[in-house]
Amino acid sequence: MRISRATLLLPLLTLACGHSDGMSSGPDLVVYCSLDQDLSENIIAKFEARTGFTVETQFDVERNKTVGLVNRIIAEAKNNPRADVYWNNEIAHTLRLKDAGLTVAYQSPAADGIPAAFRDADHHWTGFAARARVILYRTDREGLVPEKLDDFLNPAYAVGGAMAQPLTGTTLTNATVLSLQRGNDAMLSWFAAAEAAGLSFGAGNADVMRRTTHGDFLWCFTDTDDAAKAIAQGHPVAVRYLEQGDGSLGVLLIPNSICILNSGKNLDAAKQFLDYILSVEVETQLAFSVAQQIPLHVGVAMPAGVQIPGQDYQVMAVDWPAVAAAISARAVAFQEAFVK
Amino acid sequence: MIAVFHGRSPRPWWSLAVGLTLLAAWLPLLPILEPLLRFDRLAHMLDARTAALLWRSTWISGLAALLAIVLGWPYALLCTRFQFPGAGLFRLLMPLPILLPPLMVAQAWFGLTGMTGPLATVFTFGVCYAPLPALLAARSLHKQAASSFESALLIAPRLAFWSLLRISFLPAMIGAGFAFLFAAADFAVPDYFATVGDLFHVYAAEIFGHSRNFDFTAGATASLPLVLLGVVILLGNAILLKRQLGYEKNSGRYATAISAGRLTLPILLFMLTIVTVLLLAPLGRVIFETGNQGPLSERTWLEVSQQAFREGIDRGRGDLMRTLGFSGLAGLLCLFLAPLWAHMLLHCKNWLRLPLVVLVSLPLLVPSVALGFGSILMFNRPWLDQFYSSSLLPALLIAGRFLPIAVFLLLDAMSRVPDSREENAALAGCSYLQRLFRYRLGTQHASLWLAAGLVVAFGVRELDFAILLPAANASAAVRYYNALHFSRDNFVAAYGLILILLLFLPVMLHGWWQSLRSSDQ
Repeated sequence: MRISRATLLLPLLTLACGHSDGMSSGPDLVVYCSLDQDLSENIIAKFEARTGFTVETQFDVERNKTVGLVNRIIAEAKNNPRADVYWNNEIAHTLRLKDAGLTVAYQSPAADGIPAAFRDADHHWTGFAARARVILYRTDREGLVPEKLDDFLNPAYAVGGAMAQPLTGTTLTNATVLSLQRGNDAMLSWFAAAEAAGLSFGAGNADVMRRTTHGDFLWCFTDTDDAAKAIAQGHPVAVRYLEQGDGSLGVLLIPNSICILNSGKNLDAAKQFLDYILSVEVETQLAFSVAQQIPLHVGVAMPAGVQIPGQDYQVMAVDWPAVAAAISARAVAFQEAFVK
Repeated sequence: MIAVFHGRSPRPWWSLAVGLTLLAAWLPLLPILEPLLRFDRLAHMLDARTAALLWRSTWISGLAALLAIVLGWPYALLCTRFQFPGAGLFRLLMPLPILLPPLMVAQAWFGLTGMTGPLATVFTFGVCYAPLPALLAARSLHKQAASSFESALLIAPRLAFWSLLRISFLPAMIGAGFAFLFAAADFAVPDYFATVGDLFHVYAAEIFGHSRNFDFTAGATASLPLVLLGVVILLGNAILLKRQLGYEKNSGRYATAISAGRLTLPILLFMLTIVTVLLLAPLGRVIFETGNQGPLSERTWLEVSQQAFREGIDRGRGDLMRTLGFSGLAGLLCLFLAPLWAHMLLHCKNWLRLPLVVLVSLPLLVPSVALGFGSILMFNRPWLDQFYSSSLLPALLIAGRFLPIAVFLLLDAMSRVPDSREENAALAGCSYLQRLFRYRLGTQHASLWLAAGLVVAFGVRELDFAILLPAANASAAVRYYNALHFSRDNFVAAYGLILILLLFLPVMLHGWWQSLRSSDQ
């Protein structure tokens, strides 16, 4: 029996060379998306089905914490901008793009029901479907669970607790917000004091959540989407909102954000896409997803047990442009403090 | 023009190889080389903090490379040159651990033992990269000349065993050198063990942190110490290879495996232990993870596992096919490029060999995220739009990045073929390609396929520049890591298993085909 190796090679060659991206005439819209692929791809597919547009979507991974696609947008803009829309799973880096002059203004009628605090005054970006920074704690164990951020500095609370290092993602944003309120040096001292008190630091929010569900920690400081997944997976855990009561800071709410980029292509399709993503329908879909993202439109239906910001808990006021301006410098300072 | 390529001179083909490597590997490096030449920054390259990080990376990677040799070298030696029940199966399983994503192995071993910290990182890297010394040693052992081995056996079995060690040690060391490079550049595994246990960092985290600044200066400068360390390792590899070139040439019969005799049972137990550590234990844990749930879940393990596999196929099928497409194309490119480079290095002047080795190895040494950004800056132009968006770009970059592995493997394989065979072919008027592929590589096809296969396997695992390139973004690695960091543990396990099965399929088919051929003969 003689089979030539070239014969075995043929299927591979066919696969490799015959592959096409299915868009030989080019897409009608190019979307760069940092939200979890599992959550966003169905929503984008529905938009394609409704409009008949072909959408090319490029995703980020959580390991890059948004920065991969943001830097790609900046790099591509130098010679040949490709992306029409950027759907970010947080907000600070969207403002970086605005500051770099890479976004265009568009006032979507679908954004009308979203509070002004989550919309750009110049209409370059709009926030929607948020995550809150919360405490996730085990309900099957005795122990003290923080009610305020400064409880992290008390060994009675800190031992048995964990949070992600403030190097990337929402934890970096959170730490930047706090450092704007307290000062950079004070924030670095705060982290050092928390570590000295016995607080553990992990690589990311999902990781500290996972370790809490495995029983390594009594509680962790994480995002509501991670908390919702832990609960859905059947772990004995619950959520606590920090800084509530008179004179308290409130909970930090970090929305998704979306903007149109100045690629100069497909502007009409980009506007239609924004109208769709900012709709009550999409916020409802994200609220009922496994991540239980928090709708910012008033009066959107929510899954049972999910609390409403502003109504069930206080929300922290944030100067987002100041956060965007400070975040890169803060990231370097935190890197030097934590990566050792 | 075509006549030039039909001729006897290797120069047009070598020029083509250099041209393709320029496109695939060196052009994307240009944007990150510029900051490296700003010497004012180099002066502040390392301080006490970063030097400590670099030292930790060095000893972790060094121990991992040592463990890879300890596990891989005896494995290759026993299953290649000894006859015992299941030796063929063990040979077939040898490359499989390299197909397992290191992060998946880390999770599996943490789940099994609860291990954490730098030593857990050493163990994971050692286990993941043990196939590299094993495969390189196995190729050398497989091609040992029967005459020298049998002569040694006649004099004293101990001498024969010594000849087995001697012929396979340097290739195993070269494999360990590559294991060191991969371990030193990996950020995800130490990051994972730091998360599940006490926090620690490695130098790759420093590079990752600085690579978030878009001007490249910080990222490129931060990566320089690791690049220099990599150059030292590769130069070490090149020196080892030069010594290996001086070893025996073989134009005749290959030495056959000898019966294990009374040692059959101990050898079998040893091999089973190694395979369990390298493969069965992590795979078993991953299979368990496909259906694992919290204590309050009302679904059975089987229900959850079935759903995970269903989702893996439904959601990830397209990404898998795309990934196999561009990685396969990269493998095909290396089937052509690597022999040309290996042959060029074999025949070039001594003073030129080391600089060429460094040049061809550079893409493997720089962080792949830098290679990705470099390719955006070089190739994202309106007149190159089709090329920039096509699968050809990721295929070229994967081929360029992992070419050094294929080149080292083929250089070792080619060095075993006597020059006289090629010289006779030249005297008979054979063209250059005939001399290279028929007479120099004619008996080394297995090495050629192994080289291309490794490029495909590493290409499938590549994540960092997959995020950055249009045609590679919808890839299996992106989907896998996306799910991993969003705690879709069941999906991640099932998808990883599907990926491994798809990659292992050609290896199994090749093994089956080889056994058919040998039964025909």
